[in-house]
Amino acid sequence: MFSSSQFEPNSAFSGGGFMSSQPSQAYESSSSTAKNREFQGLVPVTVKQITECFQSGSEKSGLVINGISLTNVSLVGLVCDKDGSKVTEVRFTLDDGTGRIDCKRWVNESFDAREMESVRDGTYVRLNGHLKTFQGKTQLLVFSVRPIRDFNEVTFHYIECIHFYSQNSESQGQQAGDVTQSVNTTFQGGSNTNQAAPLNPVMSSQNDGNGRKNLDDMILDYLKQPACTARQQGIHIDEIAQQLKIPKNKLEGVIQSLEGDGLIYSTIDEYHFKHVEL
Amino acid sequence: MDTSSPSAFVNGALLRRYIGQKVRTVIQVIGSDTGSVVGKSTDDLQIVVRGPSTTPPLTTYLEVIGIAESDNSIRAETWTNFGNTFDPQNYNELCKLASGEFKHLFI
Repeated sequence: MFSSSQFEPNSAFSGGGFMSSQPSQAYESSSSTAKNREFQGLVPVTVKQITECFQSGSEKSGLVINGISLTNVSLVGLVCDKDGSKVTEVRFTLDDGTGRIDCKRWVNESFDAREMESVRDGTYVRLNGHLKTFQGKTQLLVFSVRPIRDFNEVTFHYIECIHFYSQNSESQGQQAGDVTQSVNTTFQGGSNTNQAAPLNPVMSSQNDGNGRKNLDDMILDYLKQPACTARQQGIHIDEIAQQLKIPKNKLEGVIQSLEGDGLIYSTIDEYHFKHVEL
Repeated sequence: MDTSSPSAFVNGALLRRYIGQKVRTVIQVIGSDTGSVVGKSTDDLQIVVRGPSTTPPLTTYLEVIGIAESDNSIRAETWTNFGNTFDPQNYNELCKLASGEFKHLFI
């Protein structure tokens, strides 16, 4: 009665390249907000970022930074006010230069105890922990403490915080493409900082689904300027091409569609255009 | 949890913007005296650090956290030896980013 091929596990997965396209799709959709909210990795943050999101949010579901609900974070800073008086628990404050946060470390095994021994007041450490709000205060339940030996890690941590932040701002639709570029050049040892990252190509590849971005917007923005709207005869397409530094042939198609949508109109002849003012 | 005393990341050029405020920077130690250390900032400007009278052995790079007294001197509250293998260029770029478009993540 039942066709056996239907229930064969091999055929269930072999159809249509399902498996092979999935991983690359998942990777590419890392910019979609749905995936961001399920992100459960270790996020590098500064204490300021934690306090800010706590003040603006106060959601029961947990702290949210840049649309990502945070639980596990990584911090780098100086240990202060270490209190190891209790046997099972070590409390201290972490000062990372952007603020201070209370930290708690449960010491259950000798490994944990040894780890905390080497941490003194004034030591730079890398902390990995779990953010928790208790009685209105945000605390860090630390599960890993490591004293820093190479201080380039301090520089690296802050750069990583910036990088993570700008990556997530970008994926939420803000045009931070140029910022990511500048952060990437920093990663290359600071030698390329004079390279101006080309803005236009980056933006055009990111916003294709959005319709009115890049070229359309650039033309409209140019035509909306008071200097242009004041000119009765309109702006010649050659001038637009020159000002925006875009080849005329690229503009022609876009101008036609803008005209069709009723956003610009031709004036003295078919080459002069003005923005439709409402 | 308290953000009352954040320190700004500065290099030699940015120091003048934060006079009277708490700053942090890394300098390459050139010379030291009782109570003060002379160093080169990550952007090659000279900075004088006035600190506690006992100067422990210093490594090549020194991080100083304290109050900026003028555009080339800091009164240190804490200093930390940053070792001999530190990349000042990276730190310099970090200072620029942290005082510029990403300032809100830090101060």
